Amino acid sequence: MYDEYSNETMLDIYVFETEQLLEQLEQLMLNCEKETGFTSEAIDEIFRIMHTIKGSSAMMMFNDISNLAHSMEDLFYCLRNGKNEIADNSFISDLVFEGIDFIKEEIEKIKNGISADGNPTALIEKIKIFIKDLQNDVQFPDPGIKKAIVETTGSIAQDTYKSNPEDGRAPPKHAFKAVLHFEEGCEMENIRAYSVVHNLKDITSDLFHIPENIIDNDSSKDIKQNGFHMCFTTDLGYGEIQEVLMQTIFLRELILEEIDKEEMERISKNKSKPYLVSESDEKPGIHGEKLNNPGTQKSKTERETPLSSGHQNILSVDVAKLDRLMDLVGEMVIAEAMVIQNPDLAGMELTNFQKAAQRLDKITKEIQDMVMSIRMVSLTATFQKMNRIVRDMCKKLDKEAKLVIIGEETEVDKNVIEHISDPLMHLVRNALDHGIESAEEREAAGKPRYGTITLEAKSSGSDVLITVRDDGKGLEREKILNKAREKGLISKSDSDLTDREIYNLILLPGFSTKDNVTEFSGRGVGMDVVARNIETIGGSVIVDSAPKSGTTITLKIPLTLAIVDGMNIRVGKSLFTLPTISIKESFRPNAGDTFTDPEGNEMIMVRGNCYPILRLHEYYNIATDVIDFTEGIIIMVEHDEKALCIFADELVGQQQIVVKSLPRYIRDFKKIKGLAGCTLLGDGSISLILDIGGLIYGWNVN
Amino acid sequence: MIGYNVRCNLMARVLIVDDAAFMRTKIRLTLEKAGHEIAGEAENGLEGVAKYFEIKPDVVTMDITMPVMNGLEALKEIKKADKNARVLMISAMGQEGIVREAVMYGAKTFIVKPFTDERLIQTVEKMLSL
Repeated sequence: MYDEYSNETMLDIYVFETEQLLEQLEQLMLNCEKETGFTSEAIDEIFRIMHTIKGSSAMMMFNDISNLAHSMEDLFYCLRNGKNEIADNSFISDLVFEGIDFIKEEIEKIKNGISADGNPTALIEKIKIFIKDLQNDVQFPDPGIKKAIVETTGSIAQDTYKSNPEDGRAPPKHAFKAVLHFEEGCEMENIRAYSVVHNLKDITSDLFHIPENIIDNDSSKDIKQNGFHMCFTTDLGYGEIQEVLMQTIFLRELILEEIDKEEMERISKNKSKPYLVSESDEKPGIHGEKLNNPGTQKSKTERETPLSSGHQNILSVDVAKLDRLMDLVGEMVIAEAMVIQNPDLAGMELTNFQKAAQRLDKITKEIQDMVMSIRMVSLTATFQKMNRIVRDMCKKLDKEAKLVIIGEETEVDKNVIEHISDPLMHLVRNALDHGIESAEEREAAGKPRYGTITLEAKSSGSDVLITVRDDGKGLEREKILNKAREKGLISKSDSDLTDREIYNLILLPGFSTKDNVTEFSGRGVGMDVVARNIETIGGSVIVDSAPKSGTTITLKIPLTLAIVDGMNIRVGKSLFTLPTISIKESFRPNAGDTFTDPEGNEMIMVRGNCYPILRLHEYYNIATDVIDFTEGIIIMVEHDEKALCIFADELVGQQQIVVKSLPRYIRDFKKIKGLAGCTLLGDGSISLILDIGGLIYGWNVN
Repeated sequence: MIGYNVRCNLMARVLIVDDAAFMRTKIRLTLEKAGHEIAGEAENGLEGVAKYFEIKPDVVTMDITMPVMNGLEALKEIKKADKNARVLMISAMGQEGIVREAVMYGAKTFIVKPFTDERLIQTVEKMLSL
């Protein structure tokens, strides 16, 4: 059970981290490609990322991913060691992007519980051929054989540990012959042998071993098959040497026997035998030398730099838990209101209770703010993803464009991010495919060859505005009108439609002006899907365009979804709630302020401007005694720069409300206009939340 | 019960140095399952060195390729101040050169990714007896 559980966790962490690394890598590659070229820092980092993915994937037994990462690691190893300029930047990035895409796809499969069955062989082959070409160009070391990282230098040549026998000491007492076999599958047998030799160097002299060359990795095979053979002399006895050798980790078998001096002599003298170490005068004094090497110095200076700053204490939490927490906080807000505004308390003098209640209220608000802030995520990742889309599309469509990103640090609720990612991608694709012209057309029109797509996010009140702007050819008014008429999407005569209204027609279901479906946009999923996606999270889409100078599409999205400040109003026996943010003012009108226009619409004049009045009791057919404007209250609300005056019986009070969406069957079958949802009030009664945008729009249409 | 006691005696306090959260978690879960204590984790060599002297673990598992300070440099720093430090290098195929250097600088031993749980546990437990 435990194993299963921990494996599950490991898989989650693996997927999470690998995805993060891939994103990082993608950014890095885009930067390299766009501006800097492959700097050595970038190459180091790419190398490190591939190395990490290789290791983790191998641990999770995703060998295809691991192999691919390995070959990419090799590629960047080569690049790092190559001294000359990298000739074909774009070919390298194409290779890497292809690799990223492969791994991404596999990870996606793993996430969905499908086996990662992609085959990277062709790509690996391609990378290998490219590495070969690189190596032929310059004298590159073969990455498969010696992969030394950063400061590992070539200073360790064939070190054979061998103390100098002619230093005047008494000759060693014993000579031994030893054969070591390592555990199967422990890997790098030659280095393990090296480690044994290293441990013996201070207590032995005249040490010889077979295979003789344990630096070269090819010797691993030899050691695996035949074991590691050694001869040495020492002052220590059999027991002590055995103890030292037995400490070798991963040792499977040790054969140790004492041999006589003659045999030792014979071995040491017999230089012609290929498997004996050639004698050299090299001393094992590498330590002293090494400490002065510049690499060590460098790391010391680096040590002055941040020890803790880069390290943040971050805990990753399952989003489902946060959703639950959010729900609970919502329930708590309602419960708190139920206690504090409990009808049983009506009319009682409760000074202490009020104090305690205020404190509770304050803490509740703080908790709420905190939970909200936990859920806030910056748009950076979502925006940065678009870089890749622009790059790929430019290549495929043979257009030239750059992406400008503004305000990516703007934060929105995690849920919101999930809902806008696809629409944004669609908009950017549209902008490139339909908006931006080819370089030639652009030049002919007197524009820069490079098209510009601007992705901007900014906060405005309780909303976040995200705009996708291109400087392409703009929308074609006539074409849209014709199409809309053809499809019976417009009823009004053409002259009544403003430009804006015409452009917004493209958001209607079943509308697509593009006759040919291209690979990228028009996949049958049009702007209507974008609009619908945004609407499900309570946002709206506004299309703006100017012929020849471009199109701007604005997504208006609520900052958070669940809890808003609301003003409760009463009409007859019904309660409604308005989001406080959309209320401009509320007042009781004088008798002379209101009038009726020739079509019978009631209007009110406020400071010289006329506004339409919406009688809620009429709109929803509610029985009430308050029919005269002077007896009730007028609430002026605003949405999209349009204002509307709502007439209600009275204001009940302001409070934080938890938005509960209306059940689907009510939304779908009843189609009640102008409702955004409902909420529970403190006394347990239900209040309907008015959708200001819907009311204004509905009002205008009627 | 005897097995339990023996294991108790051999319980190690371990410091994990690795830049990959995945590997840190993998090593932690594996060793914790075997009854060892993870006394600390570090994301790069520099942090690893600092943590080493702070918590004085019995065993350090040291990744090699890390940002800021790599595993080899961290090993050198640790060994310079504490000759008896037990450092286990976590390496991958292709890093033979560095692993050899690590051995030269006093890494007790190394294991090669991908490794099994058993191998990691055995290696750490053997290191305790050194």
